[in-house]
Amino acid sequence: MSISALFGEGFEAALLSCSLVLLVPGAALALAARRAVIPGLAAFGVAVLALSWLRFSDRGGGYPDLLIAAVLALAVIAIAIPFIVTSFAKDAELSSVPAGLLAGAAAAELWRPCVGAEFGVLLNELPDRGVSGFGLMGVYLIGALSPLVVLGAIDHLLPERILDKVETVWVAIGGGILALLAFATAFGLHESLISKLFEWSVDNV
Amino acid sequence: MNRSQFFAILVVIGVLGALVATRIQLGSENDSATSEASPSSQQTDSATNDDTTSDDATSSETSSDDTANNEEAEVESADAPPVLDPKPALANLDGWINTDATSLDDFDGQVRVVEFWTFGCFNCRNRISHTQELYAEFQPQGLEIIGVHAPEFERERDPAAVEQATVDLGVTWPVALDTSKTNFRAWQESRRFWPRVYVLDQNGDVRYDHIGEGDYDGLEETVAYLIENGP
Repeated sequence: MSISALFGEGFEAALLSCSLVLLVPGAALALAARRAVIPGLAAFGVAVLALSWLRFSDRGGGYPDLLIAAVLALAVIAIAIPFIVTSFAKDAELSSVPAGLLAGAAAAELWRPCVGAEFGVLLNELPDRGVSGFGLMGVYLIGALSPLVVLGAIDHLLPERILDKVETVWVAIGGGILALLAFATAFGLHESLISKLFEWSVDNV
Repeated sequence: MNRSQFFAILVVIGVLGALVATRIQLGSENDSATSEASPSSQQTDSATNDDTTSDDATSSETSSDDTANNEEAEVESADAPPVLDPKPALANLDGWINTDATSLDDFDGQVRVVEFWTFGCFNCRNRISHTQELYAEFQPQGLEIIGVHAPEFERERDPAAVEQATVDLGVTWPVALDTSKTNFRAWQESRRFWPRVYVLDQNGDVRYDHIGEGDYDGLEETVAYLIENGP
């Protein structure tokens, strides 16, 4: 298995609709993470890697939708805390990191990947691989989540005065999408929601 | 992390993106070469890898044999593919396309390739040309392929859209409509992917399980073995 080919396949997967279930909550989190987008997205990526590795290697996972919805709801609460408890208002990491971990864990559980040749080799071997399987999953996910890195970078490069103006709106949009995803997941409608978002993006972008 | 570091990250991502784009441009030759060189199924893990090793040893001893004889000998001398965990019958289907069958049982006694796919899935589409070749070669000898269509997105749930897609994509084998994904979940449990391919022998035992694209040789070897030697 070639590491560069695995990364390349992850990069290709980032452009496929199968990855939207990872990218939508990731992008929502990036919007909602205020001034701590990078720590939030890093936490999101770590949680996606850990939970998807557990599930795909048959070591855990497969949790009920209601539990996943509850985890997403907790992510929304983590995002909302700095707005409710004003003493936390300056500490963006305090909300973005736990929100990233929770949203990433939920996204990993909802993820049903389309699988190419290289990732297929890895997935077939994953139950019998140890730490190396975890590392290779990480290589694939760096590619698959690369749009989020770009999103984080763009957010980071924006001037402070623009961030000041848009921050509240972004938090509301990001938190709202996560809340909507939590609600849809609780009622088994998350696939339809992602599907609608996909069709909307295909029609409008 | 400061802005210059971010620019550096963006440049790295851009370069890697360009490399990936180049790889895509190079096209399917690389993909197929890579996948064919990458044994990857569970069946391959437990059996074909051993076969490959033993075949390598054998071929070094008998390297002067002609290719046709070697291929025949490989099939005959290959170990039987292992029997894997059983799968439930296909249930709660919304109909069938390209067949009058109403159940997987209608193909009892045949070697069956069961492939979970959805027409919008890029990787599922990439498998189709290989599946067409397999069907053309082995269907006259008793193979049946059953595509189980488990939709990912809303537009893939419409039976008329699935039927049109089978025409457009050249899917001529029977397709079972698993719109509710009952079977997608039941067969794959917590490890659910598109595409995923199983081979059932003449007794209905699962003898091959592969996730994703690739391992086309492993699939063909399994089918050839079962057709020639029985379960």
